[in-house]
Amino acid sequence: MPPIRTAGRGRKPPPEGFEDIEDTLLEFQNKMRDAENAPHEGKKRYETLWPIFQITHQRSRYIYSLYYEKEAISKQLYDWLGKNGYVDLGLVAKWKKQGYEKLCCVKCIQTKETNFRSTCVCRVPREQLKEGQEVQCVSCGCRGCASSD
Amino acid sequence: MATMPAQPAAWLPPLPPGWTEHKAPSGHTYYYNKETKKSTYTRPIVDVQSVPSPVVAPPTIPFNPLAGAKVNADASQPFPVQTHFDGNIHPERFNNLQRGGAESHGCQRGGFNQHRGGHRGGYNDFAERRRQPQDRPKHRYDIPNCAPWVLVKTKLGRRFVWNQDTNESFWTFPGHVLKGVVEFDRIEREKRERRERGDPSEDEDETMAEIEAELAAAEEKMQAEMIEVDGDVGMEDEEEYEEVEVTDDEGEEGAEPSAKRQRTEEPQGQPEDETMEMGEDDIAWQLAAMEEQYEDEEEGLPLTDEDCKALFKELLDDTGLSPYTPWDKIIDDGILFDDERYKALGSMKARKECFDEWGRDKMQFLKEQKAKQQKLDPRIPYLGLLHRLATPKLYWPEFRRKYKKEPEMKDTKLPDKDKEKLYRDHIKRLGMKPSELKSDLSALLKAQSLASLNRSSTLDTLPTSILTDLRFVSLPASTRDSLIETYISTLPPAPDNAAASAEEEAEVAKRRAERERREKALADRERRVREEKRRQERELAYGKGRLREEEMEIERAMKVGKDGLRAQLGSFGGDGQVREAPSGE
Repeated sequence: MPPIRTAGRGRKPPPEGFEDIEDTLLEFQNKMRDAENAPHEGKKRYETLWPIFQITHQRSRYIYSLYYEKEAISKQLYDWLGKNGYVDLGLVAKWKKQGYEKLCCVKCIQTKETNFRSTCVCRVPREQLKEGQEVQCVSCGCRGCASSD
Repeated sequence: MATMPAQPAAWLPPLPPGWTEHKAPSGHTYYYNKETKKSTYTRPIVDVQSVPSPVVAPPTIPFNPLAGAKVNADASQPFPVQTHFDGNIHPERFNNLQRGGAESHGCQRGGFNQHRGGHRGGYNDFAERRRQPQDRPKHRYDIPNCAPWVLVKTKLGRRFVWNQDTNESFWTFPGHVLKGVVEFDRIEREKRERRERGDPSEDEDETMAEIEAELAAAEEKMQAEMIEVDGDVGMEDEEEYEEVEVTDDEGEEGAEPSAKRQRTEEPQGQPEDETMEMGEDDIAWQLAAMEEQYEDEEEGLPLTDEDCKALFKELLDDTGLSPYTPWDKIIDDGILFDDERYKALGSMKARKECFDEWGRDKMQFLKEQKAKQQKLDPRIPYLGLLHRLATPKLYWPEFRRKYKKEPEMKDTKLPDKDKEKLYRDHIKRLGMKPSELKSDLSALLKAQSLASLNRSSTLDTLPTSILTDLRFVSLPASTRDSLIETYISTLPPAPDNAAASAEEEAEVAKRRAERERREKALADRERRVREEKRRQERELAYGKGRLREEEMEIERAMKVGKDGLRAQLGSFGGDGQVREAPSGE
């Protein structure tokens, strides 16, 4: 029998300052739930995942900006959020690198999974695309996330 | 009128038969037809264009040098009818003339139609009806060294001078005034140049004046022609306009007395040679002038970038947004759009930047505030809970289970270990004798410094050091409160530090004043922008109107065939009448 997970034991309570961002995180949570339960009829198979990626991105970005840009939350809280799955730490690690400041999802820079061993089309800067060419990547529905855009 | 340069009459074409020239007491020349009993200020001549269509060609400068003089006279004397001395002269005649070719043509009874369509053509009249009420004095400038004379600028950007003492006004500037006006223009131009060089000393309140001056400079050149070409655009206003309306009926004998009376009433008690009548127009102008002054005071408020940002931040403050809200959500919800201050910043990027800045500051502020509060916080509500609910009958695990829904129990800031410890100690203390508890409490109270606990403190404002102490909650509330109150009443008053609060108040007042100033500045800017927009629209409409007129003029000019030439060559009397006959009645 699996252990019963309670809020009390084995789980650290959120550190200081969590209640400030709690509402926003709850909203993200609700959005995520809606996206998960959204009907898939009339959608391409890969399209159903797009909102999931989008919400993850938004939430991670939100916490990233709070911690790194506005310095509004403490290190403890940031770590706690990372540990509890509110932030995609892998994605944040990429955002800290030059050239990846706006990366949409980690999947889009995974070259090994593509046919030509290259990144996703959404990583291509807009000026290198053809005039009027609109792109939307298959993996996360991103329309372009090059740093120069 | 005396100042109006009279056009030399030498080269005027001869009057058609039946017409005689007279001089009105005011010095005007007018023309009277004995046969038709009609009088007009416009010189009737043999109809050169001989009316190809009901719309009669208007007099225009390029075609007829006479028109200049004639229209000029009209412009400076919008109420020629006031000088009637002859009861036989029919006001309708004049008004028909005014109304333009089509109508006047229609109501000519067998007479000739050589007045060249009145001083405005039919097309012209239509445009005028639309435009006339709009032109009124707008701005007023003092002319240097010409004391009673002021320069008045109309809404349409035309200018005239007005003598405040004698209440005279002229479109063309009299000689001595002209010098002053030139001087005034020079000053204006200098101001503008200084401004263009980016001299910051010039305030924003000059903006309007500058724009005006620019317009004036542009129109200065046009001025002369303007006055001649469409002098009738100018100061003839509603009153004349009304006359046209009143005399709409054809039965002239019946309508004559009333119309005449009305007309003679209006210009009563005015000097003969005045152009600007004290009427609705003048009042409007005075109002405008007053408004102007008011605006000048108001527009002294500059709106800098910092002000814009501050305004936007105030908006954010006022909406009560949490700084932790993501920007996208705020935009999606559209909370900010309704407010004027939203437009203080021009672009979305600037707004986002401003929001980030605001959020950063606000978060910092909140953090500091919380840090201040946090010191007193953690154990107080928990001890309050213990005071209310704890009984020696329950062990800690039982108590915890029973009251686990209470927010104090759920509070994670106080670790469970501390909670347990406090609970056990508290239960232990509850078993003690009341006298001991009382002495403990008084010991606790005595330990407080005078700054934290003094006569002015109440039960609600007890210091943290008391509230977080177990000795404080051990006694039941009734006995405890009375004890504390009596103890407080024995204390001396607090050491004075009211000066600090006064300083704070001053700070708050200063901030409020600053804020008010910024909001006012924003409102000013809005109004200025609106005004500018309106002005541009108006100018556009005016320009369009003129363009249309000119086009029509050209069109009409193109229509002139050989008729005019033929008429000029001879047989003008006959020609005109022959043409007149079919359309006369």
